[in-house]
Order: sequence, then C-alpha cells, then structure tokens
Amino acid sequence: MAEAIAMRVHGIRRTYRDGTRTVMALEGTDMDVPDGKFVTIVGPSACGKSTLLNLFCGLDKPDAGSIETPAFGTDELLGRVGYMPQQDLLMPWRTVTDNAAVGLECLGCDREDARRQAREHMARFGLRGFEFSYPGQLSEGMRQRVALLRTFLCGRRINVLDEPFGKLDAMTRASMQSWLLDYWQENRCTIVFVTHDIDEALFLSDVVHLMSPRPGRIIRSLEVDVARPRKYSEVVTSVHFNELKACLLESLGREL
Amino acid sequence: MRSGVWPPLLLGAGLLAAWEIYVRVAHIDPLLLPPPSAVVRYITGNAGILLNNGAATLSELLLGFAIGVVVGLCLGVLMQIWRWFREAAYPWLVATQMIPIPAVAPILVLWFGFTIVPKAATVALISFFPVAVNTVDGLRSVNPELIRLLRTFGAGPWKVMWMAALPGALPRIFSGVRVAMALSVVGAVFGEWVGSTHGLGYLMLRFENRGETAGLFATVAVLAIMGIILFFLVGWTEDWAMSWRRHAKETL
Repeated sequence: MAEAIAMRVHGIRRTYRDGTRTVMALEGTDMDVPDGKFVTIVGPSACGKSTLLNLFCGLDKPDAGSIETPAFGTDELLGRVGYMPQQDLLMPWRTVTDNAAVGLECLGCDREDARRQAREHMARFGLRGFEFSYPGQLSEGMRQRVALLRTFLCGRRINVLDEPFGKLDAMTRASMQSWLLDYWQENRCTIVFVTHDIDEALFLSDVVHLMSPRPGRIIRSLEVDVARPRKYSEVVTSVHFNELKACLLESLGREL
Repeated sequence: MRSGVWPPLLLGAGLLAAWEIYVRVAHIDPLLLPPPSAVVRYITGNAGILLNNGAATLSELLLGFAIGVVVGLCLGVLMQIWRWFREAAYPWLVATQMIPIPAVAPILVLWFGFTIVPKAATVALISFFPVAVNTVDGLRSVNPELIRLLRTFGAGPWKVMWMAALPGALPRIFSGVRVAMALSVVGAVFGEWVGSTHGLGYLMLRFENRGETAGLFATVAVLAIMGIILFFLVGWTEDWAMSWRRHAKETL
C-alpha cells in the first residue's frame, strides 16, 4: 500500500547571489515526506538545509522544481506550514503565556481565546507555574519548550523544526528529545526535523535523509526500523542503532 | 534602579552654597550675579506671576511636544513600512532641522498671531525629529528572524509592526522622546521670545530689559525645575511601558 504523501519535493534548484558570485545552494533536491511521519534531514553545515526549510515553509520560492502538498490543495505554503527556528525568538516583553499564544494571535484568533488555549497546554509542556513569567526568567530548555508550544498550538499538519535543540546541553537535549517523541506520539502530525546530530536524527525519526555538501541534495535515505515508543537509554545503546549509525557515517564520509 | 534623590540634591545644595558664599565674600554686584538667597526670595515673593506664566509655557510645551511625538512616531512607522517613503522623506526631514528656528518663528507669529499656535508649532518642529529618527532606527533593529517567524504564522506587515517591531523598538523610541522633551523646553521659550504676551520666555525678556537680574534668574530656575520634572515623567512612563524589564532582571 502506498503511503499518503504530505509533501513531495521534486527537482529543487535554488541559487542566490553573494556579491559577484552565484552560489548554488540546492540542485536536484528530491524527497518525499510521508504523511504523519517524523522525517529528519541531516547534513554538514552550510549544505543548504536552511534554504530548503525556507522553501518548505513558504518564506522563499525555488528557482526550479516543485513542492507539492496534496493535503493543502494549494501550493502556497506561507502561513500553512508550522515553523520553529533555531533561535527561540521569544519576545522579552511578553509573558510565557502570551509568547506561546503569538502564533494563534497571528492566525486571527481572539487574544483571550489564544491565551486560554496556551494555558491549557502549560502542564504538558512542563511550564506550569511559569504562565506569567517573562522569557528572561527561564532556562534555555524551558524557553525552547515555549517556542515548541507556540508552534504546535497552531495545530499545523506539517511542522518544520530547524535544529530546535542545537543550543541545549547534552542532558537537557536528551530529555527534550524523549519529551518531543512522547508529545508527537499523542498528537500525530508530520514533522520535518533538521539537525547535524546523527544520534538525534536516528533516535527521533522514521526516515533520515542525508544531504550532501553544497549544492545540497539528498544522497541517502535511511528507514529507521526501530519500534515505537522508543526509550532513549535502550535505543541509543542498541546494536541495531549503531549499525544504522555506521551506515550514515559511512555515506557521510564518502561525501566529505 | 535609581539610587535615590539624595545625591543630586546634595550636589545642588553644595553648588548653591558655593555660589552664595562667592557672591557675598567677593561683593559681587547683585545686578550682575544675584545670590541664590535673593533668587529664592524673588520666587517666594512673586510665586503668583511665576506660576501663571509657567502654566502658559507648560501648556504650549505639552501641546507642541504631544504633536511632535505623534508626528515623529507616525513618520518613523511609515518610513519603516514603505521603503520608498523613507528614501523620499528622510533628506527632507533632515532639512527641517537645518532651518534656523529664529527664521521661522516670526513667520509663524505672522500667520497665527500672538496665540498658542506658533509656540506649539515651534516646539513640535524641533521635537518630532529625534522621535522619528529613533523610531526608524529602533524598528530597523528588530531581529529579521522574528519577522520571518511571524510571517509563517500568516502575519502581514502591519501585524508584524504591531506585535514585534514597535514593542522591540520602544527603548529606542523612548530615547528619542527624552531628547524631544529636553528640546521642547528650549523650543517653547524660543517661541515666546519671538512674540508673546505671557509665558516664562516673555518674563525673561521683560526682566532682562528692566535689569531685574534676580527675576531673570528666578524665571530660569522655575523653567529648569519644570524641565526636570517633565524629563523624569518621561522616564517613569518609560519604566511603566516596559515593566517587563523589571521582571527580566529577577533571574531564577
């Protein structure tokens, strides 16, 4: 049975000008994002990952190629795909609740209603008791959870997360990964996750796409056939996990 | 936060004492430099006149300042929303500041007579500029990543302006407003010098012509006190508008 496709990426090319030279960021990028799956893109730095994400959430248009989203019935992605950037981008003048509600407010939700919805999710995001705190009073991990809540509250079918845990320390990062998986298991949506951490990619995903250095394209797609729910301590120490990791490292090594 | 009112009061008292002693010891002619005690005596003896004229100056100043702040803010926002407007208008805004106020003020009096209008217009003319410039700079300093994030939520330029750019620009905007307030005091007096029948600027001219140096100093003192109070009122408004900064400092 063929899987439903949330996003079909075909033959993308994107170049931009850097002073006098033309930089080819993406060339012949193809990938399918199956509906309701957790898909990760891994690649060396400056491989065009961010350029690709900008295309996914409609902030940018490709020079050639197409991104089809059958479920939307339109190719206009801006305002339809959920996006979580690398920086948490919390507004220091808004409380935790009001920061989490920003997305809903932009979508035209009544302010009080947006706040109420944000407050309902505080406990699930480990933010209970901090509803009226300001971002300056929070730890890095908590700030990141507010940013996740802001994105997920919008209830998008497709969410694009750009290295959301990149700046966290190893311990916080591991617990956030487990937390994210639990949350995703309860609220299935399609997630496109970008990271340069292979362990993170394997632990979280159904499929890992490996990108080449610039111009970026997908050089290897690996199905992660590890049963869910996954337990961090068990998965990352298993033999199979390490076989998959060796596979990816080998492909990456060939390219570098 | 502020370390309290005592340091500036002590410094002020010290300087006034030194002034008083100097005038007395060196037998300075009070027409050239009256001692502070004489100025204070003048203020208490003529409180009614000073207050009446102070009120006139204050209303001109506040009207002009309010217009200046609103116009400056609007110009700043429009220059940020419309690039072409920024490019077209910026040099002309700078040009308005090159016009010597003594050259325009008489024309304003000619147009509007000895009313509040020419004074308020003079104040507005010099106070809108720092607000406009700081608003533009503040709005431009907003993190472009934040703007992109809001766009993925479907926000248009006005929504981005209201939710992210304006609150983020508030510290810069208030810097502009504080400068505008300081300039407004000078502007109001200037407006009165050109043509008026009351106000502190008018009083100054009258005292000067009559050689009442103590009265002149008393008027300047009242003006200075008014200016300081207004300046700190702006500071309090700023703290109130950005109360989140207080919370952010109590780190866990």
